[in-house]
Amino acid sequence: MADLFRTVINFISILAIPVMIALFLGWGFFKKVRVYEVFVEGAKDGFHTAIRIIPYLVAMLFAIGIFRASGAMDVLISLITPLTNLIGMPPDTLPMALMRPLSGSGSLGIMTELMKVHGPDSFIGVLASTLYGSSETTFYILAVYFGSVNIKNTRHAVPVGLLADFAGILAAVFICRILFGK
Amino acid sequence: MLNYIWLFLIVIALVVGVGKDITDEVRNTYRNDTPLEVIFISSQLPSGTATRCEGQIYLTAKQYNDFYAISSQLEEVKQPAVLSLNQNKTGSFIFACTEVTPTLWKDMAQSASGKDKLTGKVERIEFSDDHGWAKATIILEPIRYVKLKAITQAAIDFANVAVEIAFGLIGVMALWLGLIKVAEEAGLVKILTKLLAPMTKRLFPDIPSDHPAIGAVIMNTAANMLGLSNAATPMGLKAMEELNKLNPKIGTATNAMITFLAINTGGIILIPATAMAVRAAVGSTNIGIIIGTSIFAAGCATITGIVASKILQRLPRYKRELTVDTKKPEEMNHG
Repeated sequence: MADLFRTVINFISILAIPVMIALFLGWGFFKKVRVYEVFVEGAKDGFHTAIRIIPYLVAMLFAIGIFRASGAMDVLISLITPLTNLIGMPPDTLPMALMRPLSGSGSLGIMTELMKVHGPDSFIGVLASTLYGSSETTFYILAVYFGSVNIKNTRHAVPVGLLADFAGILAAVFICRILFGK
Repeated sequence: MLNYIWLFLIVIALVVGVGKDITDEVRNTYRNDTPLEVIFISSQLPSGTATRCEGQIYLTAKQYNDFYAISSQLEEVKQPAVLSLNQNKTGSFIFACTEVTPTLWKDMAQSASGKDKLTGKVERIEFSDDHGWAKATIILEPIRYVKLKAITQAAIDFANVAVEIAFGLIGVMALWLGLIKVAEEAGLVKILTKLLAPMTKRLFPDIPSDHPAIGAVIMNTAANMLGLSNAATPMGLKAMEELNKLNPKIGTATNAMITFLAINTGGIILIPATAMAVRAAVGSTNIGIIIGTSIFAAGCATITGIVASKILQRLPRYKRELTVDTKKPEEMNHG
């Protein structure tokens, strides 16, 4: 069942972009849109949008970068570790959960390391890959998306993002314990 | 809030960095200026006038652990190194880090004078009779301010990474913005928004359900679910741009934007492709085992995010921030 689902979704993922290109341009041509000119007109904004996010991305990535380099993460982890028992989370997976919203490459490294040490099909391995697979790099998205339209006052976006991440961690621990509990 | 978190990250990084460097200095973690007795193994120890020889610095695990007062080294140390000696049997050595290098030495090499290389002095060396090995006393170069150096390096590196990421986006941004524009002109986006209007009306009550923003939000979410991150980001940024056109207070996030980001950062997905690829690479027998768990966890996160955004936007302090300040409307328009 899971395999069939995977095959179908994989198939859709591969087809999606070619189909979209064909559909958008084909439909446009059919509707007598001057496709080439309109495409170029739209594409012009690509450069400015990408350049606009640079200051926001620099601010965010540099802060996260020095945070990781300083070893502050280890301090934070040692402070929070006693609390992991409360939700039945193996302490080894805490760095994964804390790093995920901050850094995509950092959490990818931690996940790989955890699976190498504990085995990918162990409880810790499954939980680590679920934590990675079920979440996004929240702070990166905040910087890029808000940066692209020059939003400086993010209002409640950060609490919302962090609450969602926290709920995701709880849900991942919960479902993994039920299905693959030690 | 982002102000505080940003500052928190930076201040904590600096405090912890300085703290660790002071601790290292007080404990002399890296045994600066302390002589270390080692065995130097080489098939070509210098005889007569030869001054340069390659070989291995040899230490038992116990000797190494005792010297640095740690317990992490499990195997004997066999570090390839190059010695340069002069007549009175002193000199210097250098080695590059390889996979056999003990972890502590690797860490030290990170902030040594030559990147990934450690140097030091040879205080004394005594060759054995058969010239296969020598007893040597070495002093490694002093290592200081490891964390502060790492912080400096990270600050510069990540500033560059940010620019690389942004530059990397230019191409795909242009491609997708072009395609979306054609789809808009052809009326395709309108069809899509009409189809999903019952749902998007509830999620984004402030946005007309046939607005181009809704189309971009739908396409972004669909691309994210399929794991098409190359297409998802341009569509997401397009959605932000359209949402921003309805923003009464430029420079401040609207309710709709935050709800949209909640859906986006919740990580709603059908196939966690990257996690599965890594599982396969490290030899999992069942890589697809995490599909169900990921969909469940991401679903919970997304629902929590949407509910949280709807509740928090009612709080007076966040409401107040969105009310347009009529006194100085010009100030916010500069961005």
